[in-house]
Amino acid sequence: MIRKKIPRRQAILGLAVLVLTLLILTFYLRHLTETARLGLVQRDLEVRLIRLRDEVKALEAKKAELLSLARVETVARQDLRLDDPEAGQVIFEGGGGTHK
Amino acid sequence: MRTASRGFQSRKVNGRIRVLLAGLLAWAFLLAGRLVQLQVFGHAAAKAEVLEQSRSQAEIFAERGTVFDRAGTILARSIPARSLFLTPVKGESAEARAKTIRAASRALGLSSEEIQRLLSRARQAEPFLYIKRKTSPEAAAAVEALGLPGVHSHADTMRFYPNGRLAAHVLGGVGLDDTGLAGVEYAHNQPLQGRKGQALILKDARRRAYHFETLVPALPGQDIVLTIDATLQYIAERELARAVEATGSNWGTVIVSRPGSGEILAMASAPTYDPNAYSSAGAEAQFNRAIQLTYEPGSTFKVVTASAALARHAVGLKETFDCSRADLGFPGKPIRDHKPFGVLTFPEVVIHSSNRGMALVGRRVGEVPMFDMAAAFGFGRKTGIDLSGEAAGRLQPMSAWSRRTLAALSIGYEVASTPLQVLMAVNAVANKGILWPPRVVKDIRDPARPLQRPAPVVALQVLAPEVAATLTGILEEAVEEGTGHEARLDGYRVAGKTGTTQKRDPALGAYSERKHIASFVGFAPADNPALSVIVVLDEPKGTAYYGGEVAAPVFREIIRKALLHLGVFPASSPVRGLITASVRSEVVR
Repeated sequence: MIRKKIPRRQAILGLAVLVLTLLILTFYLRHLTETARLGLVQRDLEVRLIRLRDEVKALEAKKAELLSLARVETVARQDLRLDDPEAGQVIFEGGGGTHK
Repeated sequence: MRTASRGFQSRKVNGRIRVLLAGLLAWAFLLAGRLVQLQVFGHAAAKAEVLEQSRSQAEIFAERGTVFDRAGTILARSIPARSLFLTPVKGESAEARAKTIRAASRALGLSSEEIQRLLSRARQAEPFLYIKRKTSPEAAAAVEALGLPGVHSHADTMRFYPNGRLAAHVLGGVGLDDTGLAGVEYAHNQPLQGRKGQALILKDARRRAYHFETLVPALPGQDIVLTIDATLQYIAERELARAVEATGSNWGTVIVSRPGSGEILAMASAPTYDPNAYSSAGAEAQFNRAIQLTYEPGSTFKVVTASAALARHAVGLKETFDCSRADLGFPGKPIRDHKPFGVLTFPEVVIHSSNRGMALVGRRVGEVPMFDMAAAFGFGRKTGIDLSGEAAGRLQPMSAWSRRTLAALSIGYEVASTPLQVLMAVNAVANKGILWPPRVVKDIRDPARPLQRPAPVVALQVLAPEVAATLTGILEEAVEEGTGHEARLDGYRVAGKTGTTQKRDPALGAYSERKHIASFVGFAPADNPALSVIVVLDEPKGTAYYGGEVAAPVFREIIRKALLHLGVFPASSPVRGLITASVRSEVVR
């Protein structure tokens, strides 16, 4: 059996095409998997962002609860033993009985 | 012979092949027919079935907007929550289900009544059962960590009022579905709730969701900024609660406003409730007496009579009225004063709140001008405040007036008004005759959309500025020397009017001698009013029941603290004392 010899140039060209095809395929697959991975990362981050925003809102509400005037007054009167000043104990400088 | 046999066999085989082919052809036709039936004629139904199995649409909840006070303090906000529920477990006995409910309830700290309610519902074999709606994510996680069979949770939001009872009647409350039920939550439900979105969920063969796509994004609710000042609201509520307790009153209400803009800075009613548990609050507590209750305003209405008299030039400032006479010529029971008076000038009639004197003034004014003035001040119709459930009150049409109505109306009887209407009338006097409609919403905000301000309000000139100025002077005297002296505040010029209304006793069919509504309405500083306040107390017990005795001191305490909070300091220090507070005047917010 006689095998036809492939010209060297053709062989190199074929090999190059094959390598290029494999490269493109590899890149394409890599691109697809990376896109999918980034999509998942992005989604995770978005979920985290939403969760953090919710957490910030809840913490702001908690802060408002801790700073509520009823609680502040209770702490001031019961824990810190503060009391209202007696009549005449406070002098107002620059008072004028008017407002802007 | 051999050839004939082969020919016979060949024919036999060919025949079988034909039969087989015919059979195959028939089967193919049947198959094709069935395919046509399924894919052509039944296309729509089949497609719908496939879509139903592989995808579903879900609602995306829009986050409810936050409510702030005028300084940016959070008054109401929706925060993340979870709702715990129980689904049936295959082969689970009723005892096991009850055990699961008990375990979950214990972890959540539910009351025994709530547990019993859940167990009763479980016994009725309800397949889906909420164990706890809108609980904190931490509490839900703790329950889920127990690994109880059939116990699951889903994401939810919870309306949270961080200041508890503060401004409860202004805020109102929401139901389990986060829809406003009262107050600002109800009146402004539309902008607060936003718009729900829609999402597409793709599922695999086992109906597990693997893809989530937003079709219509949810539009979050808009934030609302109120005119309410949380500090003033707190002051008003605290002083009101103290007064109701000290006087043994059935209920009380306080409104603080800015006469120059109609903005409501505080609105309090006692008894009150915690909007965090709106549905469990009683109707009595939920009742916003500042705008929903109507009563006969009594002597505070004399401001209207005096306005009409001055505006119509029906009386002169030095004109005198004989208040010693019991018989004034009005039909029915004689009009009485809270103490005997002799001859009083017109300002003295107002200052000392003489009923007889004011009835005579009313007669001088006449029926039509009196009715017109009351109507101009807004009595008998809603003020239009942007809150739900406001009462209109009642100003009788003149066709329904009796011969006594003019005298009764002159002293604040035979007219039903809300505390807010009385305050608005005094606001017009304080504001040089200009009446601004009241409001509680300052701004509606949303970063994603352009700023939407509430519709502009239009002020009305109901009184000439000079009439308002004259009346302000008289009301100042009423505080300095008259019935309102308990409202006097060192360092400030205060103007106001007391009111003590005898309540009508349905059992007697007459006005009660023992049941009163005590009130005080006024403003300060009289020359440049920063605030106006009304205090109303129902049936104060004990010997002190006059508005000047029980309501005026509450007014004084509220306005003293409120003016200091707003940076309006007394003109002169009352007494040289020990502590020096160096404070800078602030622009009133």
